[in-house]
Amino acid sequence: MIRITGGKIFDPANGINGQVRDLCIDGGKFVSSVIGGRTIDAAGMIIFPGGVDVHTHVAGGSINFARAMTPEDHRRTTAFIRTQSRRSGLGGMAPTTFATGYLYAGMGWTTVNEAAVPVLSARHTHEEMRDIPILDKTSCVLMANNEIFLDLLEAGEFERAKDVIAWHVWAAKAYGVKAVNPGGVAAWKWGKDAKQLTDPIEGYNSITPGTIIGRLAQIIDELGLPHPMHLHCNNLGAPGNVWTTLETMKLLEGRRAHIAHLQYHAYGGDDWDTMRSASAEVAEYFNTHTNMTTDAGAVLFGDTVTITADGPWQHLLYKLTGRKWGNLDVENETGCGIVPYTYRPSNLVNSIQWAVGLELLLLINDPWRIFLSTDHPNGACFWRYPEIIQLLMSYDFRKDCMTKLSPIARERITLPDIDREYTLYEIATITSAGPARALGLTQKGSLGIGADADVVIYEEEKDIAKMFSHPRYVLKGGEVVIEDGDIRATPEGREFIVKPSFDPEIESFLKPKFEDVYTMSFENYPVEMERLEHADIRECINGQAPSPPRTAEKEPDRADEGVEF
Amino acid sequence: MTCTLGEVKNRADFIVYWGGNPAECHPRHFTKYTLMQKSKFLPRGRKDRTMILVDIRETKSGGAADIFLQIRPGKDFEVLTILRAILKGQHVNSSIVAETGLTLEQMTDFIDRAKKARFGCMFFGMGLSMTRGKHMNSAALLTLAAELNAFTKFVAMPMRGHGNVTGADVIMRWQTGFPFGITFNRGYPRYNPGEFSTVDVLVRGDTDAALILGADPGATMPQPAIDHLARIPTIVLDPKVTHTSRLARVHITTSVAGISAPGTAYRMDEIPLPLKPALKSPYPTDEEVVRRINEAVARKPHWMPADGPMTIMQH
Repeated sequence: MIRITGGKIFDPANGINGQVRDLCIDGGKFVSSVIGGRTIDAAGMIIFPGGVDVHTHVAGGSINFARAMTPEDHRRTTAFIRTQSRRSGLGGMAPTTFATGYLYAGMGWTTVNEAAVPVLSARHTHEEMRDIPILDKTSCVLMANNEIFLDLLEAGEFERAKDVIAWHVWAAKAYGVKAVNPGGVAAWKWGKDAKQLTDPIEGYNSITPGTIIGRLAQIIDELGLPHPMHLHCNNLGAPGNVWTTLETMKLLEGRRAHIAHLQYHAYGGDDWDTMRSASAEVAEYFNTHTNMTTDAGAVLFGDTVTITADGPWQHLLYKLTGRKWGNLDVENETGCGIVPYTYRPSNLVNSIQWAVGLELLLLINDPWRIFLSTDHPNGACFWRYPEIIQLLMSYDFRKDCMTKLSPIARERITLPDIDREYTLYEIATITSAGPARALGLTQKGSLGIGADADVVIYEEEKDIAKMFSHPRYVLKGGEVVIEDGDIRATPEGREFIVKPSFDPEIESFLKPKFEDVYTMSFENYPVEMERLEHADIRECINGQAPSPPRTAEKEPDRADEGVEF
Repeated sequence: MTCTLGEVKNRADFIVYWGGNPAECHPRHFTKYTLMQKSKFLPRGRKDRTMILVDIRETKSGGAADIFLQIRPGKDFEVLTILRAILKGQHVNSSIVAETGLTLEQMTDFIDRAKKARFGCMFFGMGLSMTRGKHMNSAALLTLAAELNAFTKFVAMPMRGHGNVTGADVIMRWQTGFPFGITFNRGYPRYNPGEFSTVDVLVRGDTDAALILGADPGATMPQPAIDHLARIPTIVLDPKVTHTSRLARVHITTSVAGISAPGTAYRMDEIPLPLKPALKSPYPTDEEVVRRINEAVARKPHWMPADGPMTIMQH
C-alpha cells in the first residue's frame, strides 16, 4: 500500500490538469483510499501516468541482428554494472534486454509495443521480452506480405483470409497486426519493390498494395482487435512520398488505422536535391480525418542504427551511405534490413527529417491522435525522448537548434513559422494517455481508480530535458522501481495478447500450404502459452470493431501557476 | 544480407557452397532446405537450380555440384576480390589470376551466372572463415553478395553447426550485446575475440575454474588450453563421457536435449525450434542442474557489496 501526497496531477484520461490530489495504491492498482503503508511526499512535484511507447523495436530477430552489427557502439556506451539486484548490460543504439528495461523505466516509461514480429521467429521475440524487466509489453505481428494471405486475397477469398489473419495473431501470441510496405516486401524477395498503391506486385497478377491495405484494415476491424491496423506505408523515406501517404489515408476512410512513424512519409520534392517538408499537407488532411492515429517517428541528430522490415528501403540506404548493411528475409512472411546511420545537421535530407518530425507533432492539433516516438532506434534511441519533449515545449530552444541548419534547409521546412509550445497536459497525452488509448489498453495511461498503478513523479525544474530524463520516482504496478536516480526493484513485466476468434477448420487448410513453403513442421510453428511470462489474454468480439480514436476535448485550465519553462 | 532457409528452398536458383562440405557435415541440408526441394517458383526442383562448389579439394559434396571450382589453399580472399572486380567491370591482372588456381573464364562464368540468377545464395563454411584471412574472407564474401544485389536478389549465410551454437550466440547477443568472446570481469560485458574467447583465456591460464556445457573442448582445443582445464576445478555437464569429462574434477550426467529434455534450439538461420522429448531420462536437464547450482549459491551470503556503482561511461 502506497499513498502519494501533495503532487500536481497531470492525468488527461480523466481530464485532470495540474490539480493537487493524493493517489492511493493497493494491489498494483489505484484505489480510492488506503490505510497504513508507505507515504511518498510529492509536494510540489509533477505526476504523470507511466509512459506508453506505441512503436518501438526492442526485442526479436531484427534488433538482435542490429546488436551483432554494432559492437563498436557497445564499447563506447553506458554500461550497467551488475549489482545484487540488477543484471549487467549495455545501453547505446541497440541496448541489451535488461538495459532496455532499466533505461525505459529510468525515464518513466512502463509499457512498450514491439512493433514488428514475424510469426516464424515470434518464439524468439517472446523469449527476449521475458528478459526485459519492469516493462509491460504488447507486440504486433507482420502480416501484409505473408504469401499465404496474399494468395487468398488474389483468389478473392476474403472470409478465409480473415481466419488466416486471426489464426496467425494467436499463433504468434501477438496483440495487434502490423503491415510494412504492403506488397513491397513480398516483391523484395525478387529484389523489387512496390512503391505506389496501384503498383503491380512482383509474383502476383491482380492485387496491389492498395488492395492489401484496404482488406487488412477491414479484417482487423471485423475481428475486433483492440489496436487498429498498425501501418508502415509504402514508399518510406523517398522525396515526394507525401502523395503515397495521402492516397493511403484516403483509402482508409471509414476504417480505423494507426499510421506508424509519419515523419518518414511526409516529404515533398522530386529527388534528394529538391526534397522539402510536406508535413503541412499531411497534417491538414490528418486533422480533418479522425479515424486515424499516428506516431511521430521523430529524428534527432546523432548516431543510430536503422531497423525495418522494409528490406528494399534498407538496400537503398546502404547504397546511399556505403555503410554496413544487414538484410534478413523471412520465408513466406516478411523481411528486415539493418543499416547503421548518422543523422547530421549539415545534411539537407537529415535536416528536413529532423524538422518534419517536430512539425507533425506541432501541426497535428489533436494530442490524442499523434504520439511521441522515434521509431526506436530508427530516428533516434528511445532514451532521447526528453530532448524531443524539450523541443516541443520550448519555441526558443527550437529556434536555437535551427541555427545549426543550413539556410537552404530552413527554406524547405515550416518549423521556423510554428510557435506552438506543448503544455505538460499535452505531453502527458502524447506520451501516455493517447498511446494507451490507441493500443486499447484501458488499464494504462490513466491515474484513475482501477487503472494499473504505473506512475512517474518528476521534480519540477526549468531544464525540461533534465526533468524528463531523471524522474524522482517511478512506480510500476504499485512498486517503487526508480527512486532518487537508483533502480530499486526490477519486477517482471506482463505481456498483453489477444485471442481473436477463427474457424478451427482453417488449420486443415493452412497445414498443406504451410508445409509447401516453410521449413519447420506446422505443429511447431505456434508459440506455446508457457513461453510467455505473465500473459494477459484479451478476447475479441468478432464483428465488433472498437470505437475510433478519441479526439481532444478542450484542455481544462491548469490548476496551478507552474514553472515558466 | 541473409534469409531464412525457407527462402532458399522456395526461391534460390543459384546456390554456392564455399569452403564447406555439407554432404558430410550437414547431411540433411541438401534434401531438406536447398538443392532437392521443389517449390512454387522452382517446380522441377534440382533441375531448376545451379550449384557451384568452391573448395581446395574435391569432397563428397562435389558429387552434388554442377560446377566445382578448385582453388589453391589460402587464396579465397584473392578469388573473392577478383570476382568483385569482374562484377564491377574492372581489369584484372592475369598474374594475380594465375595464383588462384582458377582461370579468368571460370570466374567470369561464375559472375555471369550469379547476375543471371533470379535468387542467388552463397553458403560459406569454416574452410573460408577459419583459414588464412579468417574474418576478412567472410567479409569479402558478404561484400560480394551485397554488391550482387545491384543486379539481382542475393543472400549469404554461414554453415553453422555443433549443436545449439547459434542459440548460445543469439542469447548472448540479447543479454550482453555480443555473440561470444565476452568477459564480465569489470561487472559488465566486454568483447574481444582473441583475448576473451574461451581458448585464449585458457591458454593464458587466466581462469581458476571452468563450467563446460554442451561442448567438448578437450577434444578440439590446443594442448595448453586442455592442460589448464585439467589443472583447475572443471565441471562438465554432459549426457556422455567425453574427452573433457575425463579430465574434469566433476562430471554431472544430464539428459539429452531433444531426446529426453525439452528446450529450444536455434537453427543456423536463427529460427527457434522447440525441442519435444520423446523419452524419459533418469538424469536432470542442464537447465535444472544450473538452476540448482544457482539456488545453492543464492543461499550463501552475497559475494558482492550491497551498493556498488550503477552505471559508468566506458570512455
